[in-house]
This record gives sequence, structure tokens and C-alpha cells, in this order.
Amino acid sequence: MTTTKGRGARGPRVLCVLDRGYRGAVEAQFFHALYGLLDLHEQFEQIDVALRGAAVTMAVEEDEYRPEVRLGTMVLDTLPDYRGSVRDLVEEGFAVYVDRSDVTALGFDPDRLVDGTTCLPSAELSLRWPEYDEVWFV
Amino acid sequence: MAGTMERRMWDLLLILTTAPHSSDVVTSALRLSQAVLDRGGSVRVWACGYATMMTQDTFGDTKLPNTRDPEGYYPSPSAVVQRMITDGEGRFGWISCTACTEERGSTHHIPQVRHRSPLRLATTVTSAKQTLYLGGA
Repeated sequence: MTTTKGRGARGPRVLCVLDRGYRGAVEAQFFHALYGLLDLHEQFEQIDVALRGAAVTMAVEEDEYRPEVRLGTMVLDTLPDYRGSVRDLVEEGFAVYVDRSDVTALGFDPDRLVDGTTCLPSAELSLRWPEYDEVWFV
Repeated sequence: MAGTMERRMWDLLLILTTAPHSSDVVTSALRLSQAVLDRGGSVRVWACGYATMMTQDTFGDTKLPNTRDPEGYYPSPSAVVQRMITDGEGRFGWISCTACTEERGSTHHIPQVRHRSPLRLATTVTSAKQTLYLGGA
């Protein structure tokens, strides 16, 4: 049966799976996938995030990278800051799952992820899907 | 008898067919261009496919407001390219493929962009000492 939700009803509980890590920098700046989730999540009952593949790098802590580049006389210090966005996700109540096998396959230490994220084996990550109404591959 | 016209040689031609917002290639192309400019060289970008979207004047000078930082300044892709062309003082050029422009409907370029038919691609390649093809259309 299909039901129509009333105006103001919140959307379903969604798990957003991100596999692709690189989606532009100069052209994207703040307007990247995690920004979209942060911006839209109040419309939904719940949105959580699962990072897999190269996207796990968004949750890897590091101290040296500065998201800026100089082009001509312009210093563009507004490039995507994925770690900062993952921290924002955690702070705003998202569950952020990170695929452990992808973290280690890329040579990163699972103990060096952004605080508040949850590092899980791939199979265990998949077992969480039924907890959601929908799973989106972002 | 008419004399022969001397063609300008560019140090580097980047044929950019990667769509913006799809990977790091557009940023890499701009960084590579800047590195060549910093060494006194000249660079021309031939934008194909959705890369022709980079220079649309419909962007305006800035991106849409960042709801999490409404006062922040975020230059649009066309503003970045425009600045590089201006700052390059003739050493940085941007060509938009007319066929891809028509095909993608990206027909409103900033005035600094040159429009070229794909029939002139080979001529453009021979006008550069080196060519890098950055694919992904």
C-alpha cells in the first residue's frame, strides 16, 4: 500500500553509502556530498553514513593537509575539507561507519580515524542495512 | 606575394575532457597550469565535454551561498578561470570546443574564452610544444 505523507512529515531513515572519494575540489569547494547530507538531514527521520572504498579517506585523521591552493593571484582556501565535514557529521548526530578492510587496504591505521566514527568489518556494515528504510548509494 | 603568418607556440596544451565535480582532474589541470605559469611558461586548456561547463557566465562570480557559512566567499569556477587568464597576462588561455558546447548546452561562456571547432584540434596540438590529454568525458 502506498501512503502519502502530510506536509511537514519527515522523510525515511536512510543509510547513505559513499564509495567515491574524489569529486572535485576547485569547482566543488563546500558543495560536496557530505555538505549535502549535513544540509538536508533535518528533512529526514535519520540519515547515517557509511564510508567505503576511497571514501574512507574522508574519515582518516591527519594534521598537515591544508585545503587550499593558489591559482594566479587567488589563494583559494575554500577547498573541500572532508575531515572537517566528518567531524560535523558526528557532532550533529549522524552515525558514521567506516569500512575497516578499505581503511587497511589503503594503508591507513583504523585507530587514526576521526573521533566518533565507527570502524566496522564489511560484512557487519551490511548487516546494518535492515535498520534503515532505505539505503542510498550517493 | 603574401607573407606567411607566424603561429604562436604554447609550451603546454591540456586537453581536458573530464567533467567537473567527478574527480580531482580539473583541479589537477589548474594546479599543473599554475606550476607551468610560475616557471614562466605558457599554457592553453582545450575544454571538451562537460569541462565546457567550467566557464559558463551563468555562474556569476561566486558560488551559491553556503548555508553553513553564509558570509563566506566562494569564487565560481568561471571566476577562477577568468582570474587565471587575467593574471596570466597572455600566458594562459582557455578554449571551449564548440561541438561539446552545443552538445552539452553550455553555450554562455565568459568573454575571455575562445571558441574552436573540433576540426581545429590538430592545429591546436601542433601549436604546442607538449600536449597532455586528461580524459574522462
